[in-house]
Amino acid sequence: MAKEIEIRLSGSGGQGLILAARILSAALTASGLNVAHSQSYEPTSRGGLSRSDLVISDGEVDYPLVTELDYLVIMDQVAAHASTGLLKADAVLVIDSSRVTSPPKGTFKTHAFPLTEIARKLGSGRVANIVALGVLNGISELCTSESFELAVDDQAPRGFRELNLKAFKEGYTLATTGKAVSAPVVSLA
Amino acid sequence: MCIKKRPLSHSIGELDYDPTHLNLEVYFLPPAISADFNRNRLSVQGNHACALAAVAAGCRFYAGYPITPSSEVAEKMSEELPKVGGIFVQMEDEIASMGAVVGASMGGVKALTATSGPGFSLKQENLGYASMTETPCVIVNVMRGGPSTGMPTRPSQADVMQARWGSHGDHPIIVLTPASVDEIYMETVRAFNLSELLRVPVVLLYDEVIGHLIETIEIREPAELKLLERKWTRAPPEEYLPFAATDDGVPEMARPGDGYRTHTTGLTHGENGFPTQDPEEVDRVMRRLLSKLDRNRTIVESFELLECGDADIVIVAYGITSRAARRAVKLGREHGIKVGLFRPITLWPFPQQPFAEVAALARKVLVPEMNAGQLCLEIERLCSPPSKVSRMNRIDGEAITPIEILERVKALESND
Repeated sequence: MAKEIEIRLSGSGGQGLILAARILSAALTASGLNVAHSQSYEPTSRGGLSRSDLVISDGEVDYPLVTELDYLVIMDQVAAHASTGLLKADAVLVIDSSRVTSPPKGTFKTHAFPLTEIARKLGSGRVANIVALGVLNGISELCTSESFELAVDDQAPRGFRELNLKAFKEGYTLATTGKAVSAPVVSLA
Repeated sequence: MCIKKRPLSHSIGELDYDPTHLNLEVYFLPPAISADFNRNRLSVQGNHACALAAVAAGCRFYAGYPITPSSEVAEKMSEELPKVGGIFVQMEDEIASMGAVVGASMGGVKALTATSGPGFSLKQENLGYASMTETPCVIVNVMRGGPSTGMPTRPSQADVMQARWGSHGDHPIIVLTPASVDEIYMETVRAFNLSELLRVPVVLLYDEVIGHLIETIEIREPAELKLLERKWTRAPPEEYLPFAATDDGVPEMARPGDGYRTHTTGLTHGENGFPTQDPEEVDRVMRRLLSKLDRNRTIVESFELLECGDADIVIVAYGITSRAARRAVKLGREHGIKVGLFRPITLWPFPQQPFAEVAALARKVLVPEMNAGQLCLEIERLCSPPSKVSRMNRIDGEAITPIEILERVKALESND
């Protein structure tokens, strides 16, 4: 069977999790991988549990939904425990400590940063999703910053281009050095 | 977004009908991302693929009322149709939408609408009218949890029987059920071709997961997309009968403006199109109407077999459930279990002969579905004895997983 990686971005409706997954999906597709992106959200436009899943494969994706998560991003307390049953024992967790008060406990590798707070300091809390993508990529090195930039151009609103790129870089730096470039970091890990 | 006018590369199988009006100067699938960036690969959502394929297939009219989880079909059609001179109308409700689609098609244009459960219920009357008046049209139903408004954003496969029997009276209808984004594209094109060729409504039936799924698909090399149009009559106007039988059971249609006199009614009508209750005439015209799909089964039926050759246990699954079954077959084979998958792509009329051949060799048949048990009724009818069929149902708005299917397969294997 082809090698597969499973990623879930989860949080509260309105946090841009589906957009973030679309950007990541486009970046990975550009790298030559096959990606299946599925989503789940509630009928409300704000709030409620929202999640976006990616199954990434170097071959055909036979089953497009996640079954065992390699990476889980949690952006809000509402999503904190919704995916625990799907986590691999050595799964990597990216937590927004601004909005998650009790992250899942276990043998997971947890990276907690105040993503929303950092995003606000960069210019808008709305790019917390992109800071999370930067952190995720700093840990996983799934895509290059070039393909990410192209994906942002393709998928995200133009007015947010510079802020998005800054947010991604900030997240990446956080994950790789543990230090924020332009914002203080409080790690719960 | 770049629009390229060039022929497409899709074939729809063994259709050998020679269409009189074949327009290959069609709309090419527009790249979602620039070609340099994606290296001829696209990330496309299922509902968007449906809309793009419809335009590629020659659809130039859409009328609908948005409803989750089908709204992206309307959204995309509203963007794409104006670019090719087509018409998009957001109607006041689903009843009017279906009426507009039937009317547009009678006017000679390929027409589409998309909806979900509650809207599909409302469309049934005019859908039956399309069946009775033999008006080609394509209806997309992206299945969500029901009954009633149910769970708008959660998947289901509970409209299987409604798609076949939702409208009253014996009526011909084709239901196609794609299981991937790429297949939505291909089956949408096929839906238009079958609808035009056989003058019958075609329902594209897929679940919310497949509709909202975004998958990587390859752009095919531009070649010939086989597009079929309906049989426009060339008979002398004084001899033309709008519902006269032909060799394949499909009457020739008069192109509006060509000077033919026609009469169209939902009342049972004779070959001349006018109402009749004469028993002999009614029997003749109704048998002809109902024979269209049987007489053309070879082009209507479509299915996929996976590892069925030596299978003791055959899984019958469609839509997202078939993707889970595909993984379960791979895992089962790794465990040494002789398990296979029969995947109907044409759901109605069910490919009964090909399935019966596979089922005859199997000891057990498993039918996983996201409903309380619908297609299993047809499968039990086709299996001897029916008791070799096991049902597997989820009705909680969650997809059936590969592991769940694998566990059932293991249990069936050991229960001998």
